[in-house]
Amino acid sequence: MGSVAIDDVRCKGCGRCIVECPRDLIGYSNELNERGYQYVVFKGEPEDCSGCALCAIACPDEGIEVWRRPDAQTFVTTTGLTERMTHYCPGCTHGVVHRITAEVLEELGLLGRAVGIAPVGCSVLAYEYFAFDMFEAAHGRAPAVATGAKRARPECIVFAYQGDGDLASIGGNEILHAANRGEKITVIFINNAVYGMTGGQMAPTTLPGQVTTTSPFGRDVADTGRPLRVSELLASLGTPAFIARGAAHDSKSAIKLKQYIKRAFEYQRDGTCFSFVEVLSTCPTNWGLSPNEATRWVEESMKPCYPVGVLKEPPSEGGET
Amino acid sequence: MSSTEVLMAGFGGQGMLLAGKLLAQAAMAEGREVSWLPSYGPEMRGGTANVIVCLGDEPIGSPLIRHPRSLIVMNRPSLEKFGPKVRPGGVIVVNRTMIDVDVGRDDCTVIDVDSRAVAREAGNERAANLAMLGAWVGATEAVPPEAIEAAIDAEFTGDKAKHAATNRATFRAGLALGRTVEVTP
Amino acid sequence: MTTTTAPTTSEASTGAPPKLLMKGNEALAEAAIRAGCLHFFGYPITPQTEVPEYLVKRLPEVGGVFVQAESEVAAVNMVFGAAGVGVKCLTSSSSPGISLMAEGMSYIAACELPCVFINIMRAGPGLGGILPAQSDYHQATRGHGHGDYQVLVLAPSSVQEAADLMLLAFELAEKYRNPVMVCADGMIGQMMEPVVFHAEGAGPPMADNDWALTGCEGRERRIVNSLYLAPEELHAHNLALKEKYDRAARDEPRWELYGATEGYDLLVVSFGTMARIVKSAIDELTDEGLRVALFRPITLNPFPYAACRDAMDALPRDGKVLDVEMSMGQLITDVKLAAAGSREIAFMGTAGGVVPTPDEVAARIREELGAG
Repeated sequence: MGSVAIDDVRCKGCGRCIVECPRDLIGYSNELNERGYQYVVFKGEPEDCSGCALCAIACPDEGIEVWRRPDAQTFVTTTGLTERMTHYCPGCTHGVVHRITAEVLEELGLLGRAVGIAPVGCSVLAYEYFAFDMFEAAHGRAPAVATGAKRARPECIVFAYQGDGDLASIGGNEILHAANRGEKITVIFINNAVYGMTGGQMAPTTLPGQVTTTSPFGRDVADTGRPLRVSELLASLGTPAFIARGAAHDSKSAIKLKQYIKRAFEYQRDGTCFSFVEVLSTCPTNWGLSPNEATRWVEESMKPCYPVGVLKEPPSEGGET
Repeated sequence: MSSTEVLMAGFGGQGMLLAGKLLAQAAMAEGREVSWLPSYGPEMRGGTANVIVCLGDEPIGSPLIRHPRSLIVMNRPSLEKFGPKVRPGGVIVVNRTMIDVDVGRDDCTVIDVDSRAVAREAGNERAANLAMLGAWVGATEAVPPEAIEAAIDAEFTGDKAKHAATNRATFRAGLALGRTVEVTP
Repeated sequence: MTTTTAPTTSEASTGAPPKLLMKGNEALAEAAIRAGCLHFFGYPITPQTEVPEYLVKRLPEVGGVFVQAESEVAAVNMVFGAAGVGVKCLTSSSSPGISLMAEGMSYIAACELPCVFINIMRAGPGLGGILPAQSDYHQATRGHGHGDYQVLVLAPSSVQEAADLMLLAFELAEKYRNPVMVCADGMIGQMMEPVVFHAEGAGPPMADNDWALTGCEGRERRIVNSLYLAPEELHAHNLALKEKYDRAARDEPRWELYGATEGYDLLVVSFGTMARIVKSAIDELTDEGLRVALFRPITLNPFPYAACRDAMDALPRDGKVLDVEMSMGQLITDVKLAAAGSREIAFMGTAGGVVPTPDEVAARIREELGAG
């Protein structure tokens, strides 16, 4: 006797929810919404829906709320995000990671202490979406800004949110040294193997052979090097840290990702260590794929290069250091 | 007392910067205007170290003096570099432990100090720099010797306090030597 | 040699603040603490290195924070972060390092965050040398990074003034919510002189404000941001910045007039280390009966244009103006702006770490006056 409420104005028609629904209860409307997207609608009867919320978990646009029973809401939108609709493309999973980050901070009771740092790249406007104190930093410098903020106000929960051009390329030095110093900050690293904001150029994380606007014949590793595995690189440092890689392209991955991000913030809250979560994220626009094709590309192409899981844990108390 | 300036030069580690600091400290305690300007940078690495100390009754204008009135010189390269630059009528204190050449400045008062021997005799062979400083103060009377001794006590504290007495003794031995010299202006 | 151990004092028991013998770099560092700055982020470079070397020992004594950054690029962004959460903070560098901080300075100014920079200038361009120079004058006063922003610039010419201006720097930074740079050179940084700190102990923290990111518990959230995608908004932002810089230009110019101020035939314009050398030359020339004065800007930005013009207008019709700087014609830009075409400005400059002597300056002045 579940139900879903789909906000047809927020919906960008990416169709992730359609794929996620185990009972095939969501489909496209025949209409376009006011922003020009062919939005989705609930097609079934209330008794058909179990209220599992996989649709909402996969939705990048905070467009779905879910009830298991009329008096039992199983998916509530977080107060850690503003009402603003994001500028992200349909099917981009930045929205999923934003939501998970905000949910975690809300669940840990940390929204009032949070100071986030937006990067330069597609998520440059993240300060419009997170509903708490935010910086907007220069390209690649977020870990240095986070260092200054956290050292000055250790009581704040400081995190940097960065893409792969920002963090792995221009900001390589800042992330390396913030991690090596063991700054008690959290970094969320969106890896979608491409520069998004500037229109699909090759990133340090671009896969071998991957076509981008600056590797039009496919990334030639002999000339441009191999994909940079930032999590592995940081995990090799001697400084204690929590380092994990998750993904955001489907509900199952998003649920796991939330566990990683939660642990990352818990480590910061407890003053334990530097914490870092890499997220394999989709860029349907610059990959030239539909949202569903992009989801498959993460599974089939990205994951073999960037295996998900926890790469490094801080030593447990009394354990080896 | 009139204003004056002294260039102190030697190898790094010969204590010229410290000797200069003690002089500046002493003069400041006497209420005088002072500046202490060291050479710095790569030339300090195993090379020469020098410092210019200016003393005056008015605020010090330029702390960088190309032709100082006095030179305290610990080694031959520094003598060759700075000896010719001392103003006519100036004072040159020469470390005879390490310099065996003629100074070549008949127009200056030259004070020869076997600094290591003086320091050894006073009980601290490492205090050769203070023997040199003592000789200069003895000859020029630029600052009261007690002020230098107070500066030595202020500098050598904690772990280094055990060296204060022999440092003072070395300074006084140099002072006595300097006092025997008549400075001809 | 450094003097980072507790500075020795004289007249310690008189009740008056003690007179200390300190290096300029150390005096700047100590003065920052007296101003209430407990957060330093920096990267080693000659000839400013005594600033971090002093603070790494001193800051823990007052509960402060010291971070050696991985680069000047990181250091300036750490300052951005610390200033953004509302603490008084400082970074220090020398010329090539300041170039690397240019990007961050633009962001900090754009976000209107208070903070203080020290530039202990060395000779350029490129890697240049490490000896004193004033060749970052244009960089300091004309902006470092991109965009319509300004940094207020203070130029001490003695160790005491360095300490005094550091206190003023933090005051102005907070008053204008803007970066302030104390711009000295390797000579001021490396030399020891007596200095008296009139402020006791660590100064007060930054005043409560409505912009610092402290966590939004119990209030509206805040954003520190320099991105304005709407042109009208960015235009308005720049107008607001301009209004602020105009206000500083009206209220903050500081300068000194030295020498034959009652009447002079030649006016030297010079700042910092160079100005004190000019003072020695003027003293020598005054003894010879020549009438020479020095106009010394203390604020390089805002430049005291009106006062400089007044000092020129006090010259007789055939009086001379001589710009003396340790660079190849940078200060003279502002001297010419002050003159506004009313006079020829003669130029004397050195570069590369060559510091003119008082005799050389005096010779040039005699030449200008036809008194050779």
